[in-house]
Amino acid sequence: MSLPEIWAFKHEGRGIGIRHHQLILPSVVCSTVVSRRIAQEVGGITFAHQHGCAIIGVDVSGIDDFFIALASHPNVGSVLVVGLGCETTQGNELTEKITKLTKSTEYLVIQESGGVEGTVATGAAAARELAITYSHFPYPLEELVVGIELSRDVEIEPLLTELTHEGIKYVIISEAGGSAKHFSMLMSQKVQLIISFPDGNQPPSGFPLIPVINVASDSPLHQAISGEFDLQFEATAKEMVAKIISTADHTKTISEQNQSGEILVPRLVRSV
Amino acid sequence: MSNSTSPLLGYPRPDGRWGFRNHILILPLHQALSTAARDIADATPGAVAISHDWSGEIEKDFERISKTFAGFAGNPNIFTTVVLTIGTEVEAGIIERAKKFSPTPLVEVKLSDAGSMFKLVTSALEKAGELAEKAAAESRVPAPWSSVVLGLECGGSDAYSGITANPALGVASDRLVEFGATSILAETMEILGAEHLLAARALDPKVGAQIIEVVARYERSINYEGIDIRGAQPSRGNIEGGLSTLEEKSLGAAKKAGNAPFTGVLEYADRPTAPGLYFMDTPGHDIEQLTGFAAADVNITVFTTGRGTPTGSAVIPTIKVATNSEMGLVLTDLIDINAGTISDGTQTLEEVGQIIFDEIVRVANGHLTKAEHGKHHEFNLSRLYGSTL
Repeated sequence: MSLPEIWAFKHEGRGIGIRHHQLILPSVVCSTVVSRRIAQEVGGITFAHQHGCAIIGVDVSGIDDFFIALASHPNVGSVLVVGLGCETTQGNELTEKITKLTKSTEYLVIQESGGVEGTVATGAAAARELAITYSHFPYPLEELVVGIELSRDVEIEPLLTELTHEGIKYVIISEAGGSAKHFSMLMSQKVQLIISFPDGNQPPSGFPLIPVINVASDSPLHQAISGEFDLQFEATAKEMVAKIISTADHTKTISEQNQSGEILVPRLVRSV
Repeated sequence: MSNSTSPLLGYPRPDGRWGFRNHILILPLHQALSTAARDIADATPGAVAISHDWSGEIEKDFERISKTFAGFAGNPNIFTTVVLTIGTEVEAGIIERAKKFSPTPLVEVKLSDAGSMFKLVTSALEKAGELAEKAAAESRVPAPWSSVVLGLECGGSDAYSGITANPALGVASDRLVEFGATSILAETMEILGAEHLLAARALDPKVGAQIIEVVARYERSINYEGIDIRGAQPSRGNIEGGLSTLEEKSLGAAKKAGNAPFTGVLEYADRPTAPGLYFMDTPGHDIEQLTGFAAADVNITVFTTGRGTPTGSAVIPTIKVATNSEMGLVLTDLIDINAGTISDGTQTLEEVGQIIFDEIVRVANGHLTKAEHGKHHEFNLSRLYGSTL
C-alpha cells in the first residue's frame, strides 16, 4: 500500500497550497466593489471589508500585517492589490511589503486608473497576466497543516491521534470568540485547511481562501440544517481525517461551493 | 430660487416619512448569509443587499450594532426589507427593535426553517421577486419640501474642498432648510477646531453646549487610545491634496452646512424628530457615517470629494460633487457634479449651489446617481472596540 499523498501547488514565497487562488485584495473599503467586479471577471477571490481608512494606533500596522498574511497565504498563487489612492493603508507600501515576501503581486489605484470602469478593465487585464498557471505535484501529507477551530466542547483527542498517525500537522484555536475570529487567527498561522466545530447556535461558515470542513453538533439548529455540514455529529476521527485528505486533494467543501463566509479583520481601536 | 413650491415626487410612508426610492433591501443578520443576500439581490431587479462581518455575537458594541441594523432596515427609501436570519433569539430581538423603530414591512426568512441554504435562497428569491413587482407598481406622488432628509458628507478632502464644493453644498443645504427640509452634518473629527463657530449658530444655547461637548468627548475618546488626533489628521491623502492642519480641514468641512442655525445634536444613528439642521456624532470614516445616516432616516446624500471616491449606500442615493476640475473632469464615472468650475472662475458659488440643489431634486425624483449606477452598496458596522465615549 502506497502512502497517501495530496496533489498541491508550490507557491513561491508562500508555501505549498492545496488551492491555487488569485486574491484580488482591496486595500480599503472604497475599493471593495471594484475588486469584486475584477474578481468576477477573472475568477479570483475577494472579500468585502470595512477597513483601511480612518484607522489609528495599533490598527494601522495591525491591518497591514493582516493583509500581508492574506496575500502570502500558501493557498494564494497571485495577488492584485486594489487601492483607492487617498486612504490610510497605502496600497503601494502594502504591495512593497508583500513583494518582499512573495512574488506575483501587482498594484492598481482607482484614482490613477481612470476611475471605476478604467480600473476594472486594467485590473482584469493585470490579474490575467499575473495568473501564472502552476502545475500541481504530489506531496506527502507531512506538508499539510490543518487548523482545528473549536467553538464548542468537543472530545478532540481521537482526531489529534488520527492526524498524528497520518503525519498531518495541526494548530488548535479554542479561545473565546466565534468561528470567524478563529478562522482569521488560523489564516495568519498559514493553515491550508480548517476543520470547524461551530457553536450549536451558530451556522457553518467559511473563509474565502481556505477550505473549511464544518462538523455538525446535535443541537436543534445544526440538526435542522444538517445538509449544510460536511460531516455529521456522529462522524468518527477516521472519517474526519478521510475528509481532510479528500478536501486537501481538491474536493470542494460545502462552504466553498456556496462561497459563503466573510473575513473578520481584527481591529482594536475605533475609527476616527 | 423664488418659487418655493415643491417639485418633489416621492413615496409616502405610513408614519409621515417619505422615500425617494422604493427598494427591496435584502438584509442578512449573520455574516454567513452575506453571499446569499448578494446573490438574491443580483437576481432581483429592484433589490439591493448589504454584507457585513457580524456573527450575531453579543459583543461590546452590540447596542450600537443592533441600533444600526434596526434603523437601516427601516430607512424610508425601502418598500420592504427581507431579513435573512439563522433563527436565533438575538436576531429576533433586532427584528422587534426594527418594528418598533419604523413601519417599514419586514419579511423574515430563517435558515433554520428553510433547512438549507439553497431553500433559504429559493424562498427569499420568490418573496423578493413578488415584493419588487409590487414596489415597481407604486407611483410617486407630490411630496413637500419637508420630505427631504439630506445627509451632508465629504471624503478624500483637498485644499479646494473648503472653497468650492463644500460652500456650494452649503448654499443648497441652507435653501432646503429654509423650505422646511432636514439636513444633517456629521463627522465629528471634521468639525474639530471649528466647533465654536457651529455652536454659536445653535437655536438653543443647550444645543450649542452639546456641539462643544460631543467634540470634546470625541477628542477624549481618541486621547484614550494614546493618540493625538491633531497629529494623526489630516490623512496623507488630504495632505497630498494640499491641506495643512486638521483645523483647516474642519473649517472647510463645516461649510457643507451653510449658515443655517442648528436645531439639534444627534447621537450616532439617531433620527431627527423635526425639520432643521442637525449635527450627528459619527466617525469621519465615510461608510460608517453613511450607514449611520441610513439608520437615521436620511433619504438623500450629497458627498463632496477632492480626491475622488466611488462609495455609496445600498439605500441612499449619493450625489458626488468634485471639488476640483482636475479630478472632476477625469473620474467622470464616479462624479455627478464638478464644483471645480468655482476655482476655475467659470461659475460662481451661488450658481454651483443652484446646480447641486437642482440635482438633489432630480435625483430625489428618480434620476440615478453614478454611485447607484455602479452598485456601490458599501456598508459598515461602526464599532468602538471598547474605546470610551
